[in-house]
Amino acid sequence: MTDRWVTTVSNRLPAYLALGGAGLLAGLVLGRPEPVVLAAPLLLAAATGLALARPPDLDVRVRLDRERALEGEEVELALTIQARRSVSWLDVELDLPRGLADLRREGEGVISLRAGATREHRRRVACRRWGGRLVGQLRLRGRDPLGFFSYRLEVRQPLPLRVYPRPEAVRRMLRPAETQAFAGNEVSRLKGDGIEFADIRPFVAGDRVRRINWRASARRGELYVNDMRPERNADVVVFLDTFTELGDAAGTSLDMTVRAAAALIDGYLRRRDRVGLVGFGGTLRWLRPAMGERQVYRLIDALIDTQVVLSYAWKGLEVIPRRTLPPKSLVVAFSPLLDERSLGALLDLRGRGYDLAVVEVSPLSFVHPGRRETERLAHRLWVMERAALRGRFVDLGVPVVTWRRGEPLDGVLAAATRLRRDARLVRV
Amino acid sequence: MTRVRAAAPSAFLAGAAVALAAVLALAPVVGAGGGPGPLVALGLFAVALYAASLALPWPAVLPWGLGLLAMEYLVSLELRRAPLDSGAPAYAVALFLCAELGWLGLEARRGGRPWARRVAGIAALALAGAVLAALLLLLAAVPLSGGPPMTAVGVAATIAVAACLAWLGRARE
Repeated sequence: MTDRWVTTVSNRLPAYLALGGAGLLAGLVLGRPEPVVLAAPLLLAAATGLALARPPDLDVRVRLDRERALEGEEVELALTIQARRSVSWLDVELDLPRGLADLRREGEGVISLRAGATREHRRRVACRRWGGRLVGQLRLRGRDPLGFFSYRLEVRQPLPLRVYPRPEAVRRMLRPAETQAFAGNEVSRLKGDGIEFADIRPFVAGDRVRRINWRASARRGELYVNDMRPERNADVVVFLDTFTELGDAAGTSLDMTVRAAAALIDGYLRRRDRVGLVGFGGTLRWLRPAMGERQVYRLIDALIDTQVVLSYAWKGLEVIPRRTLPPKSLVVAFSPLLDERSLGALLDLRGRGYDLAVVEVSPLSFVHPGRRETERLAHRLWVMERAALRGRFVDLGVPVVTWRRGEPLDGVLAAATRLRRDARLVRV
Repeated sequence: MTRVRAAAPSAFLAGAAVALAAVLALAPVVGAGGGPGPLVALGLFAVALYAASLALPWPAVLPWGLGLLAMEYLVSLELRRAPLDSGAPAYAVALFLCAELGWLGLEARRGGRPWARRVAGIAALALAGAVLAALLLLLAAVPLSGGPPMTAVGVAATIAVAACLAWLGRARE
């Protein structure tokens, strides 16, 4: 590791050499010993510095205490530094990607090592934002004992760290209009074998005796049986609009979207529904609906790779494989409703008859109305345009609920549930 | 609060460095018995330059301040027509310490802290420098007749020192 160090000379060394040289020359010119005497300590320091200066020879190993963490948690990065040559001053700086922060205290990380000594150095890293990242890039800075030379080395030992989004708290999920054939927690709208009471009807040949409603039969004088609703699962596709991202230091619309998606994925999979994911943005990504523990990790891993990728290509739903959006599936879309392509895709989904619910991740939370009158007027017009856009969706029977920053998602989903119920009543 | 804590060592080191520079500027004036105007002016200019290099910060100017302090000392010797100044080693060590304090002050401004080995190294160098300076002064006190041969020896010694430093420098590349 010796040959890759970048060496920088302090201004002190040329200054001492220049002053020392000037002293020697002055001694010769003036014929006096004092200038040489003045130069002696400076030249001695320069000579000693040159004689002692050697770049550090280190063996550095980096390891993480775990590969997965939740947003807001801390992970520990352990650095094992073995010195083959003595180092009087060594500073270890972590070069962390965006979303991770080094919780280094002042002065921490500066060490000195004797030749042959090994030091383990632990650093806490805060996972501030979800995402898949590579850590293990270090900047080592060394100094010689007298500080005449400084040495720099970048160490790259990439270690994957997946930071999962902290899911939003959600108690009630959106109920799908249609259920699938497999058993689940969702009460089907169809009648069949189940434990949820649906209706009573006259007995017909082939009905089971245990289904007879004796009280109703006694009152009406003929046999009546209970109709039940079976518990079925549903197909849910979480649709993420990643064309645009608005935000500031406190967070972005994509952060809200990803956290909400994580909550829905977890909630629906717990109910034994099949959940899929479509990331609709500059690059199109999808995961076909499936159920089970593995699907949780598959989906969350896909989710944390979500990012805005710039693309001018027009994307329609035709680019999404048909099996990604199974028939009768509930599509929950999270979108700031800003990009024409995602608006077109959502309207297209409704046109194809999918059970669609749109959660509008409000861009208004991230946009300041401005100070000047014209800016405010423009802002008001824009707000009105957005209201008209939501109205267009509602006219098509698509509930659109607005989710502003700081609001709990649970309340937003409850509002969506109410809208969906009202929409059904209107249709009836 | 953190900024204040970070600025404190820098201010302390710079203050100590300027105080030492002031003492170094004052010593030749006092030695010259009150001192003529140009000597005082040179000393004041040297200290001002040195202080400015620390305050601004302007590291390239620091050696000029030190050089002017040394020049003031040599001018005072010439003005006094002193045969051989026995206080030269002390002045040399003080000048070296003044230089080191100045550099430490500049590094502290950038967030650097002097570490134990470096402080020990500076102390050892100051001690060794004092011994070397005293030896040189003793050597100069030996009654030898001057002339071209001695000047040639001096030139050869200067070239040898320069060659030695150049060799050390090349060996580190």
